[in-house]
This record gives sequence, structure tokens and C-alpha cells, in this order.
Amino acid sequence: MRKSILDFSRVNAEKIFNNRFYILLTVLLLLVFLILVRLYYLQVISYDHFDTLSETNRIKYVQTSPRRGIIFDRNNLVLADNSSLYSAQINIKEATNIKKIIEDVDKEINLTKKEIENFYEKKIKYAHLNNIVLKGNLSEEEVAKILSIRYKHDGLDVTASLLRRYPYKKITSHVIGSIGYIDKKDLLNLDKKKYRNTEYIGKTGIEKFYEDTLYGVPGYRHVEINAKGRELRDIEKKPAFPGDDIYLTIDINLQKYMYSLLSGYVGSSIAMNPKNGEILGMISTPAIDPNKKLWKYEIDQDEIKKLNSPLFNRSVNGLYSPGSTIKPIVALSGMHHEVINSLDEYYAGPFFQLPTSSRRFRDWKPEGHGMVDIKKSIIQSCDVYFYMVANKLGIEKLSSFYKYFSFGSKTGIDMPNESAGVLPSKEWKFKNIGYKWTDGDTVISGIGQGYFLTTPLQLVYAASIIANKGTISIPKLNINSKPKKNSEILKIEEFLKNNISLEDWNLINDAMFKVVNKKNGTAYWSTNNKKNNIAGKTGTVQVYEISQDDDRKDDKEIPDHLKDHSLYIGYAPADKPEIVVATIIENVGSGSKYAAPISNKIINYYLDNVRNNFE
Amino acid sequence: MNRDNLIGLTDLLLFIFIVILSLVGLAILYSATNQNLDIVLRQSSRLLFCFVLMLSICFIDTNKLKIFTPYIYIASILLLLFTLFWGHDSKGATRWIILFGFSFQVSEILKIILPMTLAWYLSISDDKEIDIKKLFFSLIIIFLPIVFILKQPDLGTSLIVLICGMITLFLSGLKTKHISFIVISFLTIAPLLWKFLLLPYQKQRILTLIDPGSDPLGSGYHIIQSKIAVGSGGFFGKGFLNGTQSQLEFLPERGTDFIFAVFAEEFGFFGVIILFLFYSIIIFRFILITLRAKGYFAKILSGSITSIFILLIITNISMAIGVLPVVGVTLPLLSLGGSSLLSIFFAFGIMFSIARRS
Repeated sequence: MRKSILDFSRVNAEKIFNNRFYILLTVLLLLVFLILVRLYYLQVISYDHFDTLSETNRIKYVQTSPRRGIIFDRNNLVLADNSSLYSAQINIKEATNIKKIIEDVDKEINLTKKEIENFYEKKIKYAHLNNIVLKGNLSEEEVAKILSIRYKHDGLDVTASLLRRYPYKKITSHVIGSIGYIDKKDLLNLDKKKYRNTEYIGKTGIEKFYEDTLYGVPGYRHVEINAKGRELRDIEKKPAFPGDDIYLTIDINLQKYMYSLLSGYVGSSIAMNPKNGEILGMISTPAIDPNKKLWKYEIDQDEIKKLNSPLFNRSVNGLYSPGSTIKPIVALSGMHHEVINSLDEYYAGPFFQLPTSSRRFRDWKPEGHGMVDIKKSIIQSCDVYFYMVANKLGIEKLSSFYKYFSFGSKTGIDMPNESAGVLPSKEWKFKNIGYKWTDGDTVISGIGQGYFLTTPLQLVYAASIIANKGTISIPKLNINSKPKKNSEILKIEEFLKNNISLEDWNLINDAMFKVVNKKNGTAYWSTNNKKNNIAGKTGTVQVYEISQDDDRKDDKEIPDHLKDHSLYIGYAPADKPEIVVATIIENVGSGSKYAAPISNKIINYYLDNVRNNFE
Repeated sequence: MNRDNLIGLTDLLLFIFIVILSLVGLAILYSATNQNLDIVLRQSSRLLFCFVLMLSICFIDTNKLKIFTPYIYIASILLLLFTLFWGHDSKGATRWIILFGFSFQVSEILKIILPMTLAWYLSISDDKEIDIKKLFFSLIIIFLPIVFILKQPDLGTSLIVLICGMITLFLSGLKTKHISFIVISFLTIAPLLWKFLLLPYQKQRILTLIDPGSDPLGSGYHIIQSKIAVGSGGFFGKGFLNGTQSQLEFLPERGTDFIFAVFAEEFGFFGVIILFLFYSIIIFRFILITLRAKGYFAKILSGSITSIFILLIITNISMAIGVLPVVGVTLPLLSLGGSSLLSIFFAFGIMFSIARRS
């Protein structure tokens, strides 16, 4: 039996072969059937899924950035515009061998060691971006050279990007601000959809405040790409809508003049039209050229270290004691609360003393001013008189009166991150310093010293209210913006106009006029050009506190960083003001010597040259 | 019945469909190469050469073919050795030799020569029973070339050649207990092979098959893109020359390994069914030839060729639809490449020759 099965005759062998052949064919056909099932599944059932995948493979959504709006001054002169910047970029997500790319690029256009280092730094810092700039600001020759090796490297490309140009460089640096690479912090509060293909965003100044206006509306393209990411053709396209241009209230000629006066000093100066709040010039020094930031996306750290906080916008963020520039407001407050009046005279000796204390509050004039009234105290800036007024008023009345002139709150200018300053009160001191308020604190508040801190912008704003005799103009930089006075401002304006008599306003205005125009006024020697009827008030702020009985040292003996801040507020013409200026110069000396002459030059320049030109 | 007609072609229908599929192959190659006429013309000249070869073999008597077989086997072993020492490198493997100005992959032709040699060996004795001695020598015949191919290294082709040999053994009536023995011993050494024999990239290929998403831009890329190409073809396809996956070069190895994906993308499920019908006609004629074949050698050989032909199609398409790792098997008649074309047409020639004698 067994033998017969194993008897492989020819016939039997063929039979076995046929059997085996059929078995194998059946198995193979079964596999073919399974393949057909799988193909049916892929091509018919899952078609939509794979169709989508194939479309996303081949179609790339590219956002086109809108042209950024141009910034002009009030006379249509360009303060910020755009041009193209060619830069060699590496797409770090696409590039397979970044080191090799850099080596090859280096062979073509000779990269500096720093450029290569910067690239690797940026690669880490901006890891969320696809494209990192290897070298910016390429010449045409360099562009051609890189394009010639581009085909060898996936990810290497030359792109034209926005170059923001600031033709007035340092002169407009703080007011216009600048744009910069979008960083991780910006990403937190940014419409990512809108900025998908945009590298820059307004970082400071007008560029930041009016980002939405200047930016525009991005367009898009649906592009067909091949497997290497090369763009082949546009499938659909919607052009970007350019950003709106902005016209500033700045007069660039005045701005230039102001900068020339302040350069070399550390400080700020602001010129404003009191009638409508238009900022005519706004300077903060030291400054650095914003154009330099663009190619590196970083500011030269060495340059920053050499200068005294050049990125800090002192005009809106610098906090200073107002010093004696506050005195006209203290006088107004005193008259309003009837602790003083225009007829009374008062003996001002070398110092003021509280009945309960032995502390001497010294006058700036060692021998004292003798008999003074309100006017004389303002003209000669008598400290002792205002110690007395402040003491009589008390800190609550004084503080609430300061509030009317914006101290302690933002002016509402169209600039980002404006500081509110510090308006001292009993609660404020206890909360922030930890000690109880003393009568001594009140006394020195009367001459704008102590805890009281203002920005130069608040000073010019307060000066404009004095110049306007109570009418408030909210400062603005965009000529087309119409800042609305909120209910609080309207209430204050009503108070200043109704509850403070015109006589009081006139008395203060007259006193300030005499500060500049009367021989013993503190700013008399600050200008020879008296025909514009400038009114003003100087201020000198002690940076270091002299001990009670020490005689004041001579300026020359004091190291620079302990020298007084020089302040001045002024406006002209006194009877019908068209310009108001506030200037602060840090660590130079008295207000009469520095801030007053500079401010008066600005006022005269404006009234003699600038205003006449456009009238 | 006179099967000898005009040009000695014994099966006109088979011939016609071989021509049709060759032309389909050229057309799809034109699309796969981004309309590169140079490549298509070169492939056409290879095809012409292969047709001449096929026609020449078809006139050789099957018995003469049988006598030549051991010499052909020895010659191919020598060529494999030659490849190892003087072959040229491509992508880290030495698989090619230059013969008469053409580069040639010897391992390809072994897919046919090995079954042929086994058929010769098993048919020389009158007793067709495969005893342990015959099995031993058969395994030597099988593994001798495989060792050289593994050395190149080319694991994919080694496996295919091994399976081709096993098919012949199976068809020749390999005993069930021997089959079990071979299967069990293979399963036992498979884990050892995985550990010691497979190179990292080969392991990766097998692993990505299980989860292509694990390395979408590396070894998983081929599988993902190929599946997208096939799937996005839909029922009627994107149209000739309109396959975005292939025309925009998302699909790798379009002319060779993944030519099926190009076809499926441009002609859809419908086109695939037609293609399968064409192949079916060839296979059907092959089965008829096998069943009618006279003589043990002819029967075993034609049966092997038929099965191997089907197996190659299955393997290639399975790669394209992501169910087999990328082992470098071309699609008969459609893929670009000289060596595989040569071995296929060599097999066709044998089939025609066998058909003549039946």
C-alpha cells in the first residue's frame, strides 16, 4: 500500500505535479484577489482621504505680506518707508546639511565668522521659524553667486524682504520706533494667521502703536510645488492689501533742530501745539540709528553699553521729579483753596521750618528772597514760599490738584507703554515705601521734590493746560487721530475753567512771562530773543540730597552722575500760545543754564522759522 | 494540429499580449520619467533586443535546452562570482557587471535559471521521487547562488530567488514531511537571521511597513507616497501624464519599483482591472502551455515559470500598496530595467519553445 503511493511512475509524477500546480495557483490567485480587495479599499473606499493627502502634497499655501504703510511728517516728508533687502536664507526645516550649505556659501561670498556665529544663535533663538537669514543686505553680485549654487542645496534660497528705512536715523528714532523680527514674546499676543509669512512687526513707538494700521491685509497664493518644494505655478491668488500711510504731527525741521540742541546730553524735549495737542517734536537722547537694527535683527550690544540707555524713550517713560516747574500749579492750588492770595506778602528767609521739627528746608538762594508775593516767588523760584504753601495746603489737597494736570495718570498720547508717573499720597507711601507720611514729605512736595515723579510728556501736557488757562488738549502724534476726552478729562476741564478764576490764570501767566522777561527772572538770561513773548518756568532737581547744614557745593566739584537735572517748561506767545515746550536734561546743573536756553531756542525757532514757513 | 505558424510562434494570442503590455510599459515609463524620451527610447531598444532573444530561444528544442541547462547554471554562478569581484557599486551594493557595454544584474536571471536547473536535475533520473539525497543536492543547487547574492549584499533578490527555487521543488512533489521540515527550520532560524544577518536599513524597511508613520521622511517615505499615489488615483485615475504624485516627483523610484503606483494614479482602479485582465490572459496561456507540456522537464519548468511570473507581479504590487517591504522586485513588462526584462523574455522564449513541442 505504502509502496504504491511512493511508486513514482511517469503518470503518477504528472498527477502529483498537477495537484501541486493547482494548489499553488489557488494560493497565488487568492493573493491576487486580496491585492484587488486592497486596491479597491485604497482607490475607491479611501479615495477622498488619499486625494486630500495628494493635494496637500502638491499645493502650498503661501501668504503674501502686505506693503507696510509709510510714515510721513506733517509736511509729507518721509520718515519711514520700505525698500527691498536681499538676503541669503536657509530653511532649517528643509535643509539636510546646514553645515555644508554654509561652507559652500562661504566659498562664494566669504562669510565673516560673526555672520556664521549669528546664524547659529538665531537658529536656536528663532527655532519656531522656517527661514533663518544667513547673510542680509546682499549686493547684486552676491545674489547672483548664491543663486548659482542654490540648485545644489535644498533649503538655500535668496529672498527679497522688507527693509524698513528711517531716513532721519537717530533724529526720529524714539518717536517712530522701529520694526523687528517677530519673537516668541510677540507670538503670544499676535494674530498668527495674519502674520503667517511676515517676519517683522512694529516693536516700539509709532511703528508699534499703529501696527494694525500700517500692516495692511495679507494676501495669499496657492502654489503648486514639486517634491523638492520648488514652486511651479500659481493656482489661486489674492493680492495683499497695503497698509495705510500715517501722517504725523511732527515737523521734521523742528525735530532736527531739537535733536541738534539735545544731542550730547541725556534727556528729552517735547514741543506741542497747545491748541490741538499736536506733538511738533519729540526727542529722547541718547538715540541709536534704527536702520542698523534691521540687518542683524539685533541691536549692537556694544553700542548700547557705551551709551546711557539709548533704547529707553525718556519722553514717555523717563520718570523725573518735576522740581520747581511745578510751582505755578502749587500757586494755583494755594489760591484756589485760599491759603494765599495775590495781595499778601510773606517773608522768605534762607530756610523753612516746621513748628514741630528742627529740620531746615533750605532755599536754593542761601541768603533767602526776603519779602515775596506769589508772583515774585514764581519769578525768582522762591523755595521757602512754596514750602509754606504746601504745608498750609496739606498733601491731600496738593495731590488732588496735581491730578488735574495729569500727574499720576497717562496723558493718552498715541504711543505704546506710556508711563503714568507717581503721584504721592499717604496711602501710596505706606504701600510702596512702608513708612508713614510726614509733614516734611508734604513740604518738599511743594517744590516738586520727594516721591513725586513725572514724565516729560506729562510736563508738556501740564504746561499746555497752564498756557491754555484750563483748556485741555490731549497730545497726539497721528495728525488724523481725534483723541476723545473721556468723562474724567471733561470733568477736570470744567473744574479748571469754572472754579479757577481768570485772574488767577492771568496772574500765573504773567508771573511765568516775567520768569523769562524780567531781569531777576530765573530764565531771563536764557534767551536774547524776547520778541516772541515767551513764558516759562525753570526747575532744578537735586539728584543727591545735601545734608541739612551743608552749604551747596559748587557744580564743578560734583561728579557727573550726581549733578542736578535741569528742567524747563515754556510756551509762547504768552497771550496766545502756539507752542509749548518741556525739556529735561539729566545730570548737568540748573534749569536756567541748560533746559531753559534750549527750550527757548526751540520756541523761537518754531515761531520764527517753522510756523512762518507754513502759514 | 499544426501549431507551427508563420514565424514559429506557437501561441499568437500570448505574443500579441506580450507586445501590448510592452507598449503599455513604454507609455507608462514615458509618464514616470517626466516625459523623458531618451529613457523610453533606450528601453525600447532593450525591448527589441529581448524580443529577438525570445524568438531565438523559442526555436530551440526543449530537449536541447535541457542539455544546455547545467552549463547555463555554471556560467551564471561564474558571472555571480565575477560580479562580487569586479562588479560596480551602486548605493553600497555590488550588483552589476558590465557585459558588452551593458550593465547587467546577474541575480535577476537566476529567478529563471535556478528553477530551470532544478527541473533539469530532478528530471534526469527515471524515478521522480525526491528522496533525501535529491533534496540535499537540490538545496545545494539553490543555496550556492544565494550565498553569492547575499554577499553583494542583496537580501531582497536572495529571498525571491530562494522562493523561486522552492516553488520548483514544491511542484516537483517535494514530500510533505520535507516541506514541514524546511518550514520549521526556517521559522527557527528566522529570529537569528533578524539578529545577525539583517543590516539596520533592512530591518528599518520591514519595521516601517508595520508603521510607515514612524519615519515619514526616511524609510517610510516610499511607502507613504506610493500609497497616496495609488489611493488618489480613485476609480478612473487622474489621466495619462496627469498624476501629480509622479509628475511632481513625490513618488520615488517611479520607473522601477513603483511603476505600478504611477499606473494606478493615472488610470485608477478601472485601469488596474484592465491591466490585471491583460496579465490574466498571459497567465491563462501560460497555464494552458503548462498543462499541455510534454515531458517532465518541460512541465516542471513551465509550471515554475507560470507561478514565478504571478509571484513577481504580486510582490511588486504589494510593495506599491504597502503590504510588503521594498525588496526591489520589478513589475514584469512594465518596469524600467534591462536585466529583469531579459530574464522575463528568456522565460517567455522557453514557454514558446515548450508550447511548440506540445
